[in-house]
Amino acid sequence: MNEKKKISYMEKKMSRQYFLMVLPGFIIFTIGLIVPLILAVRYSFTSWDGMTVEKPFVGFKNYIDLMKDSEFRNAWWFTLRFTIWNTIIQNVVALLFAVALDSGIKAQKVYRTVLFVPCLISALVVGFVWMKMFSNVLPALNDVLGTNINFLLLGEKKTVLQGLLIANNWQWIGYWMLIYLAGLQSVPGDLHEAAKVDGAGPVSRFINVTLPMLAPAITICVVGITTGSLKVYDLLVSSTKGGPGRASTSVIYQTYTTAINGRQYGYGCAMSVTLVLVLLLVAMIQVKGLKKKEVQV
Amino acid sequence: MSIVKKKKEKEFVPSQPYTKGTLVVQIIMTAAALLFIAPLFIILNYSFKGKRELYLSSPLALPESLNFDNYAAAFKKLDLGTTFVNTLFYTAVSVLILALLCGMTAWAIARCHRKFFKFAYVYFIVGILIPYQALFLPIYMIGYRLNLTNTRHGIIFMYVATGVSFGVFLMNSFMSTVPLELEEAARIDGCSVFRTYFSVVLPLLKPAMATLVIMQAFQIWNDYLLASLYVSKKQLKTLTVAIQSLFSAQSSDYTTAMAAIVISVLPIAVLFLSLQKYFIKGMTVGAVKG
Amino acid sequence: MKKKSLLSLLLATCMTAGLLAGCGSTEAPAEEAPAAESEAPAEESTEEEAPAAESSSDEPVTLTVLAGQSTTDAGIEDMIDEALAAKYPEVTLEWECVDWGNDFQPKMQQYMQSGLPDIMIGKAQDVATYAPQGILGEIDSTYLDKGLDAARENVTIDGKTYGLVYNALYQGVYYNKTMFAENGWEVPKTQEELQAIIDDCNAKGITPFASHMIDTWSIGNVTMQFMMNDVFNNDPTWGDKFRAGEVSFAEDEAAQTAYQYNKLIFDNTYPETFSTEQTDCDAKMVLGEAAMKVSGSWSIQNFLDIDESFDFGIFPFPNQTGDSKLIFEPNITIMTSAATEHQDAVNKVLDVLTSDKELAVEILDYTKTASMLKDVTPTFTNPSQADIDAYAADGMIVDVTLGNNQLVWGGFQEENAKDIAAWLQGDESFEDCLKASDGRVDASSAN
Repeated sequence: MNEKKKISYMEKKMSRQYFLMVLPGFIIFTIGLIVPLILAVRYSFTSWDGMTVEKPFVGFKNYIDLMKDSEFRNAWWFTLRFTIWNTIIQNVVALLFAVALDSGIKAQKVYRTVLFVPCLISALVVGFVWMKMFSNVLPALNDVLGTNINFLLLGEKKTVLQGLLIANNWQWIGYWMLIYLAGLQSVPGDLHEAAKVDGAGPVSRFINVTLPMLAPAITICVVGITTGSLKVYDLLVSSTKGGPGRASTSVIYQTYTTAINGRQYGYGCAMSVTLVLVLLLVAMIQVKGLKKKEVQV
Repeated sequence: MSIVKKKKEKEFVPSQPYTKGTLVVQIIMTAAALLFIAPLFIILNYSFKGKRELYLSSPLALPESLNFDNYAAAFKKLDLGTTFVNTLFYTAVSVLILALLCGMTAWAIARCHRKFFKFAYVYFIVGILIPYQALFLPIYMIGYRLNLTNTRHGIIFMYVATGVSFGVFLMNSFMSTVPLELEEAARIDGCSVFRTYFSVVLPLLKPAMATLVIMQAFQIWNDYLLASLYVSKKQLKTLTVAIQSLFSAQSSDYTTAMAAIVISVLPIAVLFLSLQKYFIKGMTVGAVKG
Repeated sequence: MKKKSLLSLLLATCMTAGLLAGCGSTEAPAEEAPAAESEAPAEESTEEEAPAAESSSDEPVTLTVLAGQSTTDAGIEDMIDEALAAKYPEVTLEWECVDWGNDFQPKMQQYMQSGLPDIMIGKAQDVATYAPQGILGEIDSTYLDKGLDAARENVTIDGKTYGLVYNALYQGVYYNKTMFAENGWEVPKTQEELQAIIDDCNAKGITPFASHMIDTWSIGNVTMQFMMNDVFNNDPTWGDKFRAGEVSFAEDEAAQTAYQYNKLIFDNTYPETFSTEQTDCDAKMVLGEAAMKVSGSWSIQNFLDIDESFDFGIFPFPNQTGDSKLIFEPNITIMTSAATEHQDAVNKVLDVLTSDKELAVEILDYTKTASMLKDVTPTFTNPSQADIDAYAADGMIVDVTLGNNQLVWGGFQEENAKDIAAWLQGDESFEDCLKASDGRVDASSAN
């Protein structure tokens, strides 16, 4: 009896101490991000224009309107395609680059640096630079080479996604590559040797030995790339501004222009809330799925 | 001891034979690297051109002369003396606080199995997903009510608040590298939870923290939105905000803007190059759970 | 191995800690640092401030200024600082310069939650947006009287004037005079005459119009120019009727015609217009690759920067009835906060702006714009001035603020322009484009 009491007392004391450790971060996070989110939820039930003192309550009207809003649907469609392509391309290419750099080529560090440098530049600048690339620099290359490749990717609805993907991947591939590279370089050599002895070829060694060891890196990269891409905004501001037309308008871009330029703050908040819910769902599914894989391995 | 064993990673793969295949890979990677470096070269090239040259000569042509006027103009407009120091200060302090907070929080969450902590984990994770660009008005309103706008601690507070969720997520995924036996031993020796953390766990977490520091540092260094919301005073401005105003101002004369890009990227690139070894090291430990 | 990783971590921590310590110690004397470095004229004000504060009885005051600028305006803040430092060294301005199109409205919303800056610089149409919220201060007639009466009307609400209009832009079709003379083209007054020039251009391999449709704002801008002459000239309250449900884009032929002119431009411009930015577009115009460009005074800066001797004129885009007017837009408009604690200092700034003619000329020459102050004329050579004067003499000039107040820019014109872009590129039908504009009726007014 007594013993039990003591343990529970100990536990209580300990969990109080644990609690104290979580508290500061919890409070800062709550004030800085959750309270604004709650405010946004509250505004999403109003027709506030973002300026006046009164914020008229309209119930679920904003959400109902959202269902019928084709511009919002298009923004989602663009964002999803942007995200899916990014996740695939960035992961695959970053991993390939990492494997290439890890294959014993000379001057590994030089490549590593060159590929990494773009991510030191802010997305705003990246957008600006690539717009110049597509509209001025690359067409000039056509003149020099006498070729006729269509480089005006950002000027057409059909190709604007490709153009933005190139810019985004240029910026981030090096970053994720570094994480994969780090993962690869810590795969113990003896594991490979063992597999070799078992008669496994390079491809099967990669799949059966290397890939499982990379599972944590894959989790970080996949979650990082998807959530990052779903929130794309800065890149668009300095390049296409969501155009041509609305062809490259992302969810956040649409939210921003609706809430601010369109003076429909309440409606914009409903868009944000919807986005948060979707992001939450996606991340939960991903983390669950990827974690499961990690455990299995 | 198991930790020592787990720490045993090699820095580089032992030299592999340089075969024909390796040569092919080398050639492919050289091509890739050249493609990657091309836009950087273009930036550099533009930054030396005069305004008239911009329109009349091909974008691929080299500048007629190495003219540093754009750099002088950009240097003056960016107010580097102030903006650079500010950005460095905000970044360094925020990242340090983040490392401290996130390690603690993630460990407590991993070790204590009460309901609250499970909830706290999910609660923090939600933060990664909040698109704070879309919440800028409430974020500003809160900051204003709490007198955080236009102060150094205000912007740092916001960087911590927005970074904490990713930090906790990251640190939490490393907690499995911390062996429980050691902690239990410490506890049996009568250490409090705090002491266990600071004297036993923290040293083990340092590599993971390096990863956190690096990842967050880039984020904060390049942040535009929060900085533009929270600091408008000239003496508190950050580099990105200064560059952005240069951009919107100089859209007709982007040679100056290009020079500004070079100026702003150079310090962090040099920092990265000189500390590359440690960065990679941090990432290595970061991306691999023991 | 463990040691090594620890070491690296330590180094990283030391680095950050070092930075921290370094910055921490410089934080206090930070004020000195910029002053010591400042050789720039812009910083003179801070230098002069200190001695002035001792000698003058006036308390030193720092005013906050939010400046929503167009590309041509950036840089005038230094000129104003300098002039202010000379006359009222005790007043210092703390500038926050943002892009008017993208960032002015969000910044205003932000400050409406906390408190407005003492002075705001925007466009005339901003007065209609913000004055009804009761946050703008009335401008004293001492200063207003130094300006021309022309632009007062549209910044006056219920008899009170809340904005001081400083300069003005002209909008219309800029044309290459030399090219017009060589080909024997006359300034067109009707659509038929314009079409004749376009046909001749096409026959001779000249691109009729320079345009930069990657900038959606330029589509929105020219559409308003078309609307002014084809819609608002006949019906100045078209926007009110639109909101009352009496007219709509889907049914109003005049409004549709205005939209259709975009197609005329699109069909007669270079194919890469959706990848061309303003500067490149202006360069093509100067280099003689295109004959005309529907634009505004903001292009003059580029034209003359590229070629000082480029000879150009301006005419209003012909409308259906052949009585188009040249479009005039009050540009830099100074507004003040109703709640400012330093009204005296604000007035000093207004005084400098309205009475310092040298400053005014400097700003106008720099921005290549027209004066809105009495007895102030810019000294730069504007080849299109003769045309402007001719239209002014005939009374053929119209203030676009009317249109911008009837149908606002943000949330309406700006959004419609995106649909027009999609329609031009064949991604949306004309009917849908019109319908989309009609669907935005609630966002068409600022209030």
